Amino acid sequence: MQCRTDLGLCVAFPPSPVTRSGTQKAAFVGSSWPAKMAAPAGKVARGWSVLALTLRTAVPRLPGLTQVRWSRYSPEYRDPQTDKEYYRKPLAELTEEEKCEQELRKTQLIKAAPAAKTSSVFEDPVISKFINMMMKGGNKVLARSLMTQTLEAVKRKQFEKYHAASAEEQATIERNPYTIFHQALKNCEPVIGLVPILRGGHFYQGPGSLRIHQPPPPRPATPLPFRPRCCVVPVPLPARRRRFLAMKWMLTECREKKHRRTLMPEKLSHELLEAFHNQGPVIKKKHDMHKMAEANRALAHYRWW
Amino acid sequence: MATPSLRGRLPRLGNPRKPILKPNKPLILANRVGERRRDKGEATCITEMSVMMACWKQNEFRDEACRKEIQDFFDCASRAEGARKMRSIQDTGESRNLPPMKLNKLLQRFPNKSHVS
Repeated sequence: MQCRTDLGLCVAFPPSPVTRSGTQKAAFVGSSWPAKMAAPAGKVARGWSVLALTLRTAVPRLPGLTQVRWSRYSPEYRDPQTDKEYYRKPLAELTEEEKCEQELRKTQLIKAAPAAKTSSVFEDPVISKFINMMMKGGNKVLARSLMTQTLEAVKRKQFEKYHAASAEEQATIERNPYTIFHQALKNCEPVIGLVPILRGGHFYQGPGSLRIHQPPPPRPATPLPFRPRCCVVPVPLPARRRRFLAMKWMLTECREKKHRRTLMPEKLSHELLEAFHNQGPVIKKKHDMHKMAEANRALAHYRWW
Repeated sequence: MATPSLRGRLPRLGNPRKPILKPNKPLILANRVGERRRDKGEATCITEMSVMMACWKQNEFRDEACRKEIQDFFDCASRAEGARKMRSIQDTGESRNLPPMKLNKLLQRFPNKSHVS
């Protein structure tokens, strides 16, 4: 495969069966040599989302090769912008880039927005993500109804507390279920994560994108009976991973640790309120993670990224 | 340089000489390339992390007491992530070939047919 930088393309030449399985001269020893494929008579350009291509010509059908897992949209399709505020900005406030973007949007092709995404004022990406995570078997209707029932339950509980409280306390009680939801999830987010790293072997198990073969680092002499094979290393987490973990822990807690007859909205509203006040099992789980990271902080040097 | 020849190298019935090569795997191009030898990096944001953990120890792991340290740690982590991305983009620029992971994905989609049909 060659990168034809003079054409501005990354072109792949599919293997021609004549030269490859024919003479033994074509075979190379060892798989670490880059695969050199013989060029057929005509160049074939393919577009992938992985390799950003400038050109996109017609893809001829090759026998024995079917493309799987592709999108109906070609790379020039842009994502839809459902945010009304983006379009309501007065012309004077826009920067050059944004003006250019808006001009482009008038002529370029745009993908269809997914069914769950609206431009309504009540749309909340965090709530949508939480509903998707709660959904089982594609039953979005049920998941959404559970979510609305949860928010209603939260609101009802807070209003009961409000009406039962004195005047000074009434100022401190938060009644908006959306702020309670957001604050509870923010309180549940872990600050630091733990990653298992295998030492003394031939590979290191870091995050999924970094599987590299390395020799084991020089380690100090340890006493004989104690040879750590696998250690859990504290690692900073990206923001989306933190948000995901918070939601995942909340859902796992509500699904598994409840009585058979309690319904999800009831349990979830209870957990959300507890997390809002920095109490409860999900916060405890977050603190356990922090404590373990703190206990293993000496192992942080085993990281290589 | 041309491919080294395989004539008379392998142990076969028709080969009178003693074999030069004794491959333990079949001499067929695999559908993956080997990994690049990367230089080992070292762990980033250790100081911010230790400062944050000291603050935690003092304040019984309460997050609201250690807001500043936590924010510093997040900033350091995002800066390290950005630096790593820039480095990897610079490394796999125009001059170098595709990174091994992308090459392997490509080869999975268009594999070498070691069989006739």
